[in-house]
Amino acid sequence: MAAELGFHFDQTLCNGCKACSVACKDKHDLPVGVTWRRVAEYSGGTWQRDGNTVVPNVFSYYTSIACNHCEDPICVRVCPTTAMSQGPDGVVTVDQDVCVGCRYCEWACPYSAPQFDAEAGHMTKCDLCADYRSEGKDPACVAACPSRALSYGPVEELRAEHGDLAGVEPLPDPAITRPRLVITPHRDAQPSGSGTGSVANPEEL
Amino acid sequence: MTTVGTQEKPQAAGLPRRSFLKWSGAAGGGAVLVGAGASFGLLPGVGAANAARMSPADSGDKAVWNACLVNCGSRCALRLHVKDGTLVKVGTDDTGSDGLDGPQLRACVRGRSFRHRVYNPDRLKTPMRRKPGTKRGAGEWEEISWDEALDTIASEHARVVKEHGQEAVYLQYASGTAGGNITSGCWSRLLSLAGGYLGYYGSYSTSQITYAMPFTYGARIESNSIGDTVHSNLVIYWGDNPVETRMSGGGNMYNAQVAKKDFKTRTIVIDPRYSETALDLADQWIPIRPGTDAALVAACAHVLITEDLVDQEFLDTYCVGYDEEHMPEGIPAGSSYKSYILGTGPDGTVKTPEWASEITGIPVDVIIQLAREIGTAKPCAIMQGWGLQRQANGENNCRAVMMLPILTGNVGIHGGGNGSREGTIKFPLARMGLANPIKTKISCFMWTDAIERGAEMTEIADGVQGKPQLDGPIKMIINVAGNAMINQHSDTTRTAKLLEDDSLCELIVVVENHMTSSARYADILLPATTNAEEDDFIASEYSGDTAYAMIVDKAIEPLYDTKSHFDMCVDLSRKMGLEEEFTEGRTLQEWRTELIARTKKDVPSLYSEQEFRDKGVFRLSNPDGTFVASKAFREDPVANPLTTPSGKIEIFSERLWERSKVWTFDGGKKGDKLTALPEHVPTWEGAEEALTNEKYPLQCIGHHYKGRTHSSYGSVDWLIEAHPQVVWMNTLDARDRGIDNDDVVRVFNDRGVIQLPARVTPRIMPGVLSVPQGAWYSPDKDGVDTGGCINTLTDWHPSPLSKGNPQHTNLVQVEKA
Amino acid sequence: MHTAELPMIVFTVAAQMSVGAFVVLGIVQVVAGRKFAAGTVEKMTDTALYAIGPVMVLGLIASMFHMGDPMHSLNVIRHFDSSWLSREIVFGVGFAGLGFLFALAQWFKWGSARLRQVLAGVTAVVGLCLVFVMSMIYYTLETVPAWHTWATPAQFFATTFLLGSLAVGAAFMGSIMWRRRSAGGAELDESTAALLTGSLKGVGLGAVAMLGVEFVIIPLHISNLSAAGGAAAESAAVFSGVWFVARLVLVFAGAGLLGVFLYRYASHAKDAGVRMLAIVATSAFVLVLAGELIGRSQFYEQMTRIGM
Repeated sequence: MAAELGFHFDQTLCNGCKACSVACKDKHDLPVGVTWRRVAEYSGGTWQRDGNTVVPNVFSYYTSIACNHCEDPICVRVCPTTAMSQGPDGVVTVDQDVCVGCRYCEWACPYSAPQFDAEAGHMTKCDLCADYRSEGKDPACVAACPSRALSYGPVEELRAEHGDLAGVEPLPDPAITRPRLVITPHRDAQPSGSGTGSVANPEEL
Repeated sequence: MTTVGTQEKPQAAGLPRRSFLKWSGAAGGGAVLVGAGASFGLLPGVGAANAARMSPADSGDKAVWNACLVNCGSRCALRLHVKDGTLVKVGTDDTGSDGLDGPQLRACVRGRSFRHRVYNPDRLKTPMRRKPGTKRGAGEWEEISWDEALDTIASEHARVVKEHGQEAVYLQYASGTAGGNITSGCWSRLLSLAGGYLGYYGSYSTSQITYAMPFTYGARIESNSIGDTVHSNLVIYWGDNPVETRMSGGGNMYNAQVAKKDFKTRTIVIDPRYSETALDLADQWIPIRPGTDAALVAACAHVLITEDLVDQEFLDTYCVGYDEEHMPEGIPAGSSYKSYILGTGPDGTVKTPEWASEITGIPVDVIIQLAREIGTAKPCAIMQGWGLQRQANGENNCRAVMMLPILTGNVGIHGGGNGSREGTIKFPLARMGLANPIKTKISCFMWTDAIERGAEMTEIADGVQGKPQLDGPIKMIINVAGNAMINQHSDTTRTAKLLEDDSLCELIVVVENHMTSSARYADILLPATTNAEEDDFIASEYSGDTAYAMIVDKAIEPLYDTKSHFDMCVDLSRKMGLEEEFTEGRTLQEWRTELIARTKKDVPSLYSEQEFRDKGVFRLSNPDGTFVASKAFREDPVANPLTTPSGKIEIFSERLWERSKVWTFDGGKKGDKLTALPEHVPTWEGAEEALTNEKYPLQCIGHHYKGRTHSSYGSVDWLIEAHPQVVWMNTLDARDRGIDNDDVVRVFNDRGVIQLPARVTPRIMPGVLSVPQGAWYSPDKDGVDTGGCINTLTDWHPSPLSKGNPQHTNLVQVEKA
Repeated sequence: MHTAELPMIVFTVAAQMSVGAFVVLGIVQVVAGRKFAAGTVEKMTDTALYAIGPVMVLGLIASMFHMGDPMHSLNVIRHFDSSWLSREIVFGVGFAGLGFLFALAQWFKWGSARLRQVLAGVTAVVGLCLVFVMSMIYYTLETVPAWHTWATPAQFFATTFLLGSLAVGAAFMGSIMWRRRSAGGAELDESTAALLTGSLKGVGLGAVAMLGVEFVIIPLHISNLSAAGGAAAESAAVFSGVWFVARLVLVFAGAGLLGVFLYRYASHAKDAGVRMLAIVATSAFVLVLAGELIGRSQFYEQMTRIGM
């Protein structure tokens, strides 16, 4: 059986530049509005004023997310057409010949992985650069990251090496879809659901 | 799977995720900005209608080595994948390592968007002339032939030189192809051959530090490399933000990340913003009011001196002016640095942490702790960024920061540094340019003054170099691959007005790829190829302890009716009777071969042209391991003196002391003052004034943005989507004004108004706004700049010593639009 | 108003109204069948029954506009074992098909009355299942807290019976008025008048009761969302502002008209008010329908998903 694949993301290295996101768009020729890999900035904290001086208690970090090729993919569960399906390597893909473009998966996925392409009328999404992998190359986003914050591979290996954390704000409770995602947390990473900060760049997601 | 979309297709779905179920108006701000780049779509030579079509993404038939040439200070490889003569994909370096030695030159987000920069609806397609009878900047054009365009330039050049002299011609400061060699060297070469032109000194990046640092160290010397911080016990990024301003995966961002990750050295970031460097690397963030760095330094010095943490032996041996015992001859008592700090100098103010706290906004205990850490953590690396010198008296700010490594004896040792910006080793590249035979220079920032009142400009009032007074005003400007004609210069509204009057500057030639804000003010507009359509031979810039060279190989034929800089200069040189001298009988390709051959003389192991094609990047590692600034001076100051008059570090600069008595500031502003010591000088629209200015109580600075290099890449749709223009403001300031995140706001002062969405964030200190610099100036009919260009808010008034751009010194107000 | 999901707003409201009307008609037939002759009852209810068809078809057509690629529409039933959306389509088409069959049977008087009653019963059950399945599409999305709540099925069923009742009331009045006009303004016969009176009373009472239910659901839903924080609290922000107020006002105005309507019937002579009653019943229906459409648009607007 093929090993099930996932991403590792080292949050301590990400500066939010989005080279991953645009390299993905370039590789797959995605138009504005269709973004398979997105980067959220999660920020929070408070300021204390004392006369003319100020003291910050501030945190901020980035999370780069494409499809996590979940163990229990909610997109596959809710898809009425079976267009959304999961291969033996765990990679979730959408069959363009079947998808009806109802966008139910878009409502359901807490990672915004399925992205609607208005031109085609179908959902589109990350396939972990299947063509590159077949040539033995890294997915575009992984090869692009200037900080080397992204890697991919058999998720069991990733977990053995980096732990099994996937529940960091603004990501949802991993119990919902069981993402094949391993995060090395930023020093200020907040646990999922803690609500201590907010997504600073919602318009970019 | 079927492919999805090309650039010309309508915007899919359009609305971002979280808002796709909100009111359609709520996303309006973003949508407006996404459209901004294509706002000149009706021009004859511009627009999506006749844009070249892109092919869908594909691996292509071949991949050629090319590079991103913009002025970020990094230099990344791009591998352009081509199919049927079209770019189909942009890759990056796939050679090199994942360590500090020879890292892979992974391009940042901008390089990755290169395809949309080349095939951009804003591309200039054919030479154009401002329609006769219309105002400059009105945006009305006529297509003309290359022949006519170059004839006009040749004859106008001859006329201007004849009527106004050689120095009435100005080759504008520009950095859009800063990384190019042949690309950026052609025009200066041709104009130099044609008798030369009024020169400039300084740059919009570093005018103040480039000018001021030599008074302390004899030259502008970069500090130790970031890689050298592996020897440090404390690292301080003082207004320095390599993780954001130098985002290359083979440059200083990567070096800083690797050093921190592997060595976990305690790191402090001092910055009004919680920058990406703070976010990634800082153990402590100290927010500081913009422009008050010299006050913080003085207070730290006070702690160091009173707690006996200074390196007295270093100061006695290597420096002039620290204490009264080490002053130059003939200087009045009480003029030493120590006297200034302890309040026994002319101003009588003791520079206590309490004093600095009120100015900088930093609590007293934080200042004391910072000073003690610097004093005890030897070696300590202090690297200063360039933002703190782009201030109304930025010269003193940057010289002040250099005081801390001097006081603690950290100069010239591993793990320390000289307090300038992080250093790098340079590649000895043979260049194509030619020295300007004219030696008269103005500050790069004073060209608008030189148009308006050139004949009045003098050495002692305006910093004219090469002669005491200019002969006359600028009458002809050639602006090649630059946006300082308006966008990157201060006070866009005032600049626009100046340029509209074509009786002042009589001819403006702009050579560009895209219809930038500056291109709009051209009389003759020449469409240039991008580097995807050109050959070149280039080298690394600020890359730390690895230097490298690359070839830029033409990937596609010139689009539309564009020409390379080389080809248009050859044609123009022919019309000027200079073809022989210009080409020296070589084609562009032969020039490249020649430059590679010349470089090989200095670097015998350099790749051949074919090896460059096969192997990509040629790297040189620092033979000394990591770069240490002024190491020889530290080891033997007598044998290896600095280039200051005393040969030592001049804490007190006698040259500045003399100059302060001669230079004039008639009609100047508060803070127009030269000081021999790096003192804190309160300035116009500075932090102190902000506390009492009720009309404009907020300081406004401009950070470098990830979606642009200055203004380069400013019209690329993918980047506008990824990094939309927003103004950063603190949660508390926003709450006081009823502003929520992503609300559209107006930021304004007496100079202008910009309109853009707000990023309400705790990541910037209260009382400070930051507008990412470089967004394209787009005034609406009421003059409101909806592009959100910070220079609609900035002032022409130069800094006192270097006459540089004080573009982070601004007071403004903000309100919901 | 939030119109991005207009196809879904029209589809869900139309389908629920159709199911509601069908069930209410069934109840009228069963209850009235004990007192009145079958012909009298059918004369009044059949017109309303035939009106349901076009409404349901309109809803199904609207739902097609939600599809990005309608050419692939047939695929939507392929995942019946897992996707509530597949189930919705199956039950939606099932209800429409059975309803159409029943209408035909009623028109051509196919089969025995008993058989037709069984068919009607099955259709009603499938219709109620449809409403349930529809609500489950949203309820089962645990990633959307504003939908993942009991309020979703409660609201859908409230809409079903509220609009179903009012639609039937309006249809009865429309049918009576039409019959009066074709008969040259003749008086209603005794039994028809009594049937109309009784039916409208029942319909009115039912609708008022459903309004009451809605006014319990709405505040509870909003306070639950606000208390939950995070994405749920962001959703709650939808329930403020002019459209939310408009919805409440419209539904209240509809309820007020109904009050007048009931009062007049309890205390008034049968003839004088027929015209006024028709206006009141139709207006109440239109106002509440508008309110429910706004309410449904807000149901979609409140969609804020957890995660990023």
